[in-house]
Amino acid sequence: MSEIALNSTTTFQNRLTQWLFNPFMFVAGLPALSAGLAIILISGFFCWLGNTHFDGVIDCHIGLATQWWIFPAEGLINWILLAIPLFFFGLIISKSSFRLIDVFGTQALARGPYLITAVVMLPSANLKVGNFIFAKLTQTTPVVAVNLADIFIFAVAMLLGILMAVWMVVLMYRAYSISCNVKGPKAIVTFIIALIGTEIISKFAVVWLLSNMR
Amino acid sequence: MKILPTTCPACNEQLKVKSLICENCSTEIQGSYDLPPLGQLSIDDQLFLLDFIKVSGSLKDMAGLLKLSYPTIRNRLDEIIEHIKITESSRQNKREKNK
Repeated sequence: MSEIALNSTTTFQNRLTQWLFNPFMFVAGLPALSAGLAIILISGFFCWLGNTHFDGVIDCHIGLATQWWIFPAEGLINWILLAIPLFFFGLIISKSSFRLIDVFGTQALARGPYLITAVVMLPSANLKVGNFIFAKLTQTTPVVAVNLADIFIFAVAMLLGILMAVWMVVLMYRAYSISCNVKGPKAIVTFIIALIGTEIISKFAVVWLLSNMR
Repeated sequence: MKILPTTCPACNEQLKVKSLICENCSTEIQGSYDLPPLGQLSIDDQLFLLDFIKVSGSLKDMAGLLKLSYPTIRNRLDEIIEHIKITESSRQNKREKNK
């Protein structure tokens, strides 16, 4: 392979890596907000089809059937509840001036991996195996029998679900780092505080939504 | 075109101008001169600032030109501003020491 061809391959790989793990280098503001909102709403549609709940910033559970609008509402709650503290942490620790739309837009786009999660949770095998495991753990009689194919589908969905959660957290941090121009220990610590705090608050918010609105 | 080096290849310290020459009459001036603040930046940063001036200092236009996001451009500019501030303050400290 010639040097030029090798360089172009390396550049392509670098660009692909940046698009996968740091797309905010190339997109932020209104385009990111539009794409992110579309992703949240489409994810909500798939969640409604599969009864998948994003009941927390990084949480994903399946089972409870409810009204269609609850599913996109969960995604919107998770997005807004994380973007707000990150914006305020940015105001405190960043030396730069930054735009609100970049923080909210990039955080919305960072939820992209959960669109894949919403799709991989669609097969009914996931719910079957989930119920089976729950019944075994609580030592009640399993409602339905599961076969090897169900277990395989469930295992793949769980593996992909974990990978998507890790990918989403990486994207959320990158979004925070670029949109507020923060890096280093201060950025990492404030991000972790915001993520844990929001995880707790969003959990309560979604539970309240499910118990009062459905 | 040759690229003007701004830092020492051996120890990475800022280089100084030792001599200047008139190509017309070959008059040569020797001394120890600091590079101007913008000349002390890396070539990449200098080219970035050149593009920035060409788009009339618009971060949005710059983002479009380089196909990068607005905050990426703003962060890069902030880094350059920070670099210039550090260079200026270290130069001022040296002057005060020499007094």
